[in-house]
Amino acid sequence: MLRLGIDIGGTFTDFALIDGSARRTVIHKRLTTPDDPARAVLEGVASIADEAGIAVGAIEEIIHGTTLVTNALIERRGAKVGMLVTEGFRDTFDIGQEQRYDLYDMRLRFAEPLVPRRHRVEIAERITHTGAVLTPLDEAAVRSALAYLVETEGCEAIAVCYLHAYRSATHEEATEAIARSLYPEIPVSTSSGVFPYAREFERWTTTCANAYAQPMVDTYLARLTDGLAEIGFAGRLAIIGSGGGLMSPETARQHPVRLLESGPAAGVLMAARLGEAHRIDNLLSFDLGGTTAKGALVRGGKPFKTYSFEAAHAYKHKSGSGLKLQIPVIDMAEIGSGGGSIVRIDQLGLMRVGPESAGAMPGPVAYGRGGKEATLTDANLVLGYLDADYFLGGAMRLDAAGARNALDARGKPLGLETLRTAWGIHDIANEDISRAFRMHATERGFDYRRSGMAAFGGGGPIHAARIARKLKVPQVVFPAGAGVMSAFGMLSGAAQFEVIRSHRTAIDALTGDDFKRAFAPLEEEASAYLLSAGLAPEAISIERRLDMRYRGQGYDIEVALPPGDPAALLAALPALFDAAYGAVFEVTLDEPVEIVSLKVEASGPRPVPVPILAKATGSAEDALKGSRMAYFPTAGGLIDTPVYDRYRLTTDAEVTGPALIEERESTVLLDAGDVGTVTPSGDIVAAIAL
Amino acid sequence: MTAERFDAVDLSILWERLVSITDEGATALIRTSFSTLVREGFDLSILIFDAAGRMIAQSTKCIPVFIGTAPVTLSHMLMKFGGKLKPGDVVVSNDPTIGTGHMYDLAVMRPIFRNGEIAGYAMSITHLPDIGGMGFSVSAREIYHEGLRLPILKLVKEGVLDEDIVELIRLNVRVSDQVMGDIHASIAASAVVARQVLDFMEEYDLASLTPLADEILAQTEAAVRTALAALPDAEYTSETDVEAHEEVRTLKCRINKAGESLTIDFEGTGPCVGAGINVPFPYTRSMALYAIKCLTTPDIPNNDGSTVPITVTAPVGSILNAVPPAASAGRHTIGHFVVPLIYAAMAEIVPDRVTAASGLTDIMTIQGRHADGSELSATYFAAGGFGGLDGLDGRQTTPGSSNIGTTPIEVFEPLSGLLVEKKALRPDSGGAGQFRGGAGQTIVLRNATGHPMTVFSMANRTQFPAEGLFGGKAGALREHLIDGEPVSGQGRHTLMPDGRLTLNQAGGGGYGPPAKRPTAAVRADLEAGFLSPDGAARAYGVRWDD
Repeated sequence: MLRLGIDIGGTFTDFALIDGSARRTVIHKRLTTPDDPARAVLEGVASIADEAGIAVGAIEEIIHGTTLVTNALIERRGAKVGMLVTEGFRDTFDIGQEQRYDLYDMRLRFAEPLVPRRHRVEIAERITHTGAVLTPLDEAAVRSALAYLVETEGCEAIAVCYLHAYRSATHEEATEAIARSLYPEIPVSTSSGVFPYAREFERWTTTCANAYAQPMVDTYLARLTDGLAEIGFAGRLAIIGSGGGLMSPETARQHPVRLLESGPAAGVLMAARLGEAHRIDNLLSFDLGGTTAKGALVRGGKPFKTYSFEAAHAYKHKSGSGLKLQIPVIDMAEIGSGGGSIVRIDQLGLMRVGPESAGAMPGPVAYGRGGKEATLTDANLVLGYLDADYFLGGAMRLDAAGARNALDARGKPLGLETLRTAWGIHDIANEDISRAFRMHATERGFDYRRSGMAAFGGGGPIHAARIARKLKVPQVVFPAGAGVMSAFGMLSGAAQFEVIRSHRTAIDALTGDDFKRAFAPLEEEASAYLLSAGLAPEAISIERRLDMRYRGQGYDIEVALPPGDPAALLAALPALFDAAYGAVFEVTLDEPVEIVSLKVEASGPRPVPVPILAKATGSAEDALKGSRMAYFPTAGGLIDTPVYDRYRLTTDAEVTGPALIEERESTVLLDAGDVGTVTPSGDIVAAIAL
Repeated sequence: MTAERFDAVDLSILWERLVSITDEGATALIRTSFSTLVREGFDLSILIFDAAGRMIAQSTKCIPVFIGTAPVTLSHMLMKFGGKLKPGDVVVSNDPTIGTGHMYDLAVMRPIFRNGEIAGYAMSITHLPDIGGMGFSVSAREIYHEGLRLPILKLVKEGVLDEDIVELIRLNVRVSDQVMGDIHASIAASAVVARQVLDFMEEYDLASLTPLADEILAQTEAAVRTALAALPDAEYTSETDVEAHEEVRTLKCRINKAGESLTIDFEGTGPCVGAGINVPFPYTRSMALYAIKCLTTPDIPNNDGSTVPITVTAPVGSILNAVPPAASAGRHTIGHFVVPLIYAAMAEIVPDRVTAASGLTDIMTIQGRHADGSELSATYFAAGGFGGLDGLDGRQTTPGSSNIGTTPIEVFEPLSGLLVEKKALRPDSGGAGQFRGGAGQTIVLRNATGHPMTVFSMANRTQFPAEGLFGGKAGALREHLIDGEPVSGQGRHTLMPDGRLTLNQAGGGGYGPPAKRPTAAVRADLEAGFLSPDGAARAYGVRWDD
């Protein structure tokens, strides 16, 4: 079976082809075409088929991740959206959340709403938090508002945002029906349809973002499916969503906002598969790229998910300055430390790395593309971790002298030698990343100290062993193909769709049958997306979760229901809630418990993993390709360090640090005493000398 | 170890790690906290002190009240228990006069022992869900009405929890499980911080925190002194009138900037009043330190080095230096004025950094019964507009002085039994100016419970608006109305079934003369709902003809 993963990134579009029967993989990388992203995809599909010696028509499945929606929000290139909103609440986006995200900065900026105020029209209607109709929908007002927005103002998409629509969708659905009958060509997003969670500010922002992205995603997917058909592709196309599940193009068109973060999510999925393959229950997923690093947590093979996500930061990369959305998303910490992170000296005379970044252009000084400021990559080059002649497999020569001068320009005024400056930059970045992992894990009650780590991205494998030390993480997995992990990750995803519905009930008032009946429509809705993508009903598995709380408390706890008939599981619900509550608060209260909402995730079968590399046994010595001077303070400083060729390492080969293991897109660094072992799948699993 | 060992790299790493330990502790506490203020508003702090009791690291996210207060608390704890602390001891107190100014905030301190010696101290301070008394309101006449005041005492002695004190606390508070849950979490957090400090010393082979502390404090102090030295030497004054529970008080401040140091004196400020809005001195001082930090060194971490060059004084017994029996549960109502007071005084020195006065925050507590008869109690926050700045309009509905987020309507309605009928920008409320003040908002709440409801208001700016700067105009006043009739912003009101409470939030002050505001900006304000056509004509002389 031939399956192809395609990840459109900011700079490169990555392709990974897995040929299941021949047990081989083919990788392809080409520049992203930002003006028309489908072009690079179509050209790349043809190229990789050519390289692999197969016909495009032989590819059975293409799985695709895209930054289209992310970039549209950042660059504000979306549609002109008209919003219908409950009377009295037109200004919700302007009023905002009434909190400053930085206490000391008097000049904070916040994300501009996606819909300007003149395109927000109030409609008389009101539903209470119990779902009762307080004020009936003024349908005449809906008609005239739509006429104004579409005909006078030229809006290309409509967002319907009513209060408590997560509780009862009747008014939003009636409004949608009117819009569809009057303007069938205009896409409509309702807040109850997009993701019906309480919290109006985030839900409405999400609804508007969905409407904003819809026409663009429509055009893109039409171009892509047509283009693929033209070059002979006749298989299934799936798009990976922010939560890591695969969606059909039809589903993606309805829910374009769920395409945010799709590339990074695929990287975490791959990390999760690695955790399973190597039997690591608690895993930190660590991805270090050109501008940022990303951290995520995986337990028992499942990435931690969340329902809040902030896109398009508007001020100094600060959390709080972006668009606050509610979608199912893999819970990632974004860390302002990447290869291009710029080194500066702060007001206290201390060295800092990032969050400002030289990005891909001009990039680090070492790239020789006009970068003037010292970056993390420059430090890694001066420390000997990167080979100036073998960067991207030798495709790009690095300027070591330039890097050294740039470091001196920062370090010399502080009285620091070049090597000391370089080490400081490297170690400070490690400390910053460790700190972000500590916070992210602690906030989620995850004990990072005894977990494992999977490291990927261009820079992850250089930093992972030392970050693991700081976090007291004993084991790090360095996967094969670390530089195109997201493209591989897509091939490990399963078709998935999650829906949520508000369902406020006291659990003592429920019967088993009520409970089962409450889930039924969600199961049907979530499954429908998978059935329409061609899955057989028996291939779909259902996971049920509930948001629950003690009555009167303002915060919910998520409780996962074990597999089985919900009617029979109702009796176990109080104990499940107590356990979930106790895991967070360490106590339980003697208060009545209620259900707030129900969630159902329908999943298709997961593809069977195909080992990426499989080589005969041998010893590490066969792969030793030389040595160079590199800085290992724990082993005495600048030392002659063995350098291994990753492609020649064989199963069971053992490499003991200090050592560097090179592949085209990344370099693995093992520190003194770390022992890396090559597994049959081609991964390197390192025991860290804590 | 000598101080020479720390270069810019070492210091960066070691310092970051200490702050990281406090941030991790704060994160863990927020996760388990029962208090809305802690969860949504960072009303907590975690701190590390060296063996000499000098504060060297503090969790990053907090509100202003935690700047500079904890060292005072620790020094009083050491005055009582110095030399008598044993491993496993935990000392607590919520005394507002040595803490943060109200009894909701409990300080929990644990000495860090290494090889039988004290290596430092770990402390957590969190806002408890309840402390008994009259609840979170300004209605108390004296401190004895405000709940349980815990003197400095050992809650845990050599690892053994004092069950008598626990029983005393449980008996005196509402939601006692939640209160004790938060206290236990604080005790656990102090243990985690202490353990991590010991691991840190082990990892970096530090026999003592003292040399590192010397370096951290010296660098911080030097940065503050450098920033102060860059300002011209002079004496600056300002004063403002504030409503104080059916009376008016004048707050005065005199700032003297000389060389690398600065003194702030609130001499001349009026006396305390018989309501829970008096401000104990630690709160006044922290607000003053916060204001100066924003103007001079906003990016440096909080520690004792940053406060050394700044001296703050206020006359004992004044409303900015309240002593028992003065009540202080709602001390923010007056205390929030310290920041605009200082900005007004500093405006001449740093005109490009100050903001015009802000509309500040409206906080109220609501008590009553849900439609089904069960008890309800909820807190509501609403922000006025932010003050204008040089080159930047004040942002609408943004809390000034302190910081707290709003509760979403969809979450608030079921908690409070109130129906939010409207929440909209309040046109013409932001002060006119070249850079206008931020708009306030109008909120209409209807009692949908079918039962009478009690509203405890803790509002300000109902008589004295947020003033503009450099010719900018004042923002609109805050107004509270019940069924259309104005009511006092500080006190207790009954809202009958289906009664409507209207809150008009105060606007921020403008910056610079309105005549200098470009017509295009005025038109944009009309479009954005910040101005009405009439308001535009009144404030800027611009007629909107369309």
